[in-house]
Amino acid sequence: MKGNVYTLLYAFVLGTTCALLLTAASQFTTPYRDANAKAEEVLNILTALKVPFEEGASSEELLNVFNGNIEEKQRGDMTIYEYSPANGNGEVLAVVMRFAGPGLWGPVKGFLALESDLRTIRGLTFYEQEETPGLGGEIVTDDFRSQFAGKSIVDESNKAGIVIRGGGNKLINGVDAISGATMTCDKVQQMLNKAIVKIVENE
Amino acid sequence: MAGDQGGCKSCGGLCGGKGLVTLKDGAWTQNPLAIQVLGICSALAVTNKLENSLVMGAALIFVCVGSNLFVSLLRKHTPHRIRMIAEVAIIATFVILFDQLLKAFYWEMSKQLGPYVGLIITNCIVMGRAEAFALQNPPILSILDGLANGFGYAVILAIIGFFRELLGTGKVMGHEILSGNWYTPNQIMILAPGAFFALGIVIAIFNALKGPDPQENK
Repeated sequence: MKGNVYTLLYAFVLGTTCALLLTAASQFTTPYRDANAKAEEVLNILTALKVPFEEGASSEELLNVFNGNIEEKQRGDMTIYEYSPANGNGEVLAVVMRFAGPGLWGPVKGFLALESDLRTIRGLTFYEQEETPGLGGEIVTDDFRSQFAGKSIVDESNKAGIVIRGGGNKLINGVDAISGATMTCDKVQQMLNKAIVKIVENE
Repeated sequence: MAGDQGGCKSCGGLCGGKGLVTLKDGAWTQNPLAIQVLGICSALAVTNKLENSLVMGAALIFVCVGSNLFVSLLRKHTPHRIRMIAEVAIIATFVILFDQLLKAFYWEMSKQLGPYVGLIITNCIVMGRAEAFALQNPPILSILDGLANGFGYAVILAIIGFFRELLGTGKVMGHEILSGNWYTPNQIMILAPGAFFALGIVIAIFNALKGPDPQENK
């Protein structure tokens, strides 16, 4: 029977070796993973803004499209991205901003794109969510997201905010909620409105 | 031929006797998925596409071979009381290593496999082989065992992935095979129930081909 000291020593050496190995691996892959994360963000911004790009484009191609068409700006305490086509006359077609907030199970994050009037939604994407697959998780589907295009972010009396609820698509600032995902929809509405209020008040 | 003989001596009769048995056991007679029905969680979750299945199979082969090798190398030095913790530490190291490489060089796939690569740490096949085989056997034999079991898992995954993708979307590796007016993709095959049907049928066919287990009648 080997002693306690040996057992502790063994655990210590094994643990340290594994940790060192993984640290080295992580150091080595960090630049690649960062580049992937950046490309993912760029892809989401381009999708929300409906900037045309080739399907299945590589990370570098996406970055090229992004750098050619999109300009990063500060607006109050928000970072926004303005879309003015490379072959246009410098006119801003649309802007996109980040929104985030707690979902039902975990953080939900995404991009909201507005037309140049800053009152009409152009599109939106979610790049992080852990909602229930098949219910709240349906927020990432085209069916749900495409409802937002063309909707106003203010109601008839010019009050900022959108509505996500059953039958909401009849409102100028509303879309249909997902059945069985009321909690997720409420929370998505809250986080969108937080961003929308900021945009409207920062005029 | 003389060289072969020498090789056999140095590895303890590997090419003739135990090595072959180990390979056959892992991939066929004791196939981890079809016979022992282990590790079916990932087999159900990631097999909706052939490509996903192949990458998952490769991940398991990598982890199984790596962890078996190191558990076997350390088997005479590992204190018995903490052997399982040591095994998990070694397995986790290999899994995280594979996950990091996937995230760096195969981002799309990493997104699709989601948490299932990380969950290989808890895959009973890997832990089971380390505990049942690598702890008692020399390194080279343990590598063979890891290879055979990983291969046994990967092949079943590929078969399930192939049929689920084909029947569920009409495609194989993203290329359209069944299309046109005569075939409507059967969506249920790429959803959870399809995984259960496919796995059940594969296990049934596998067992029918293998014949009844001689030990069961004793």
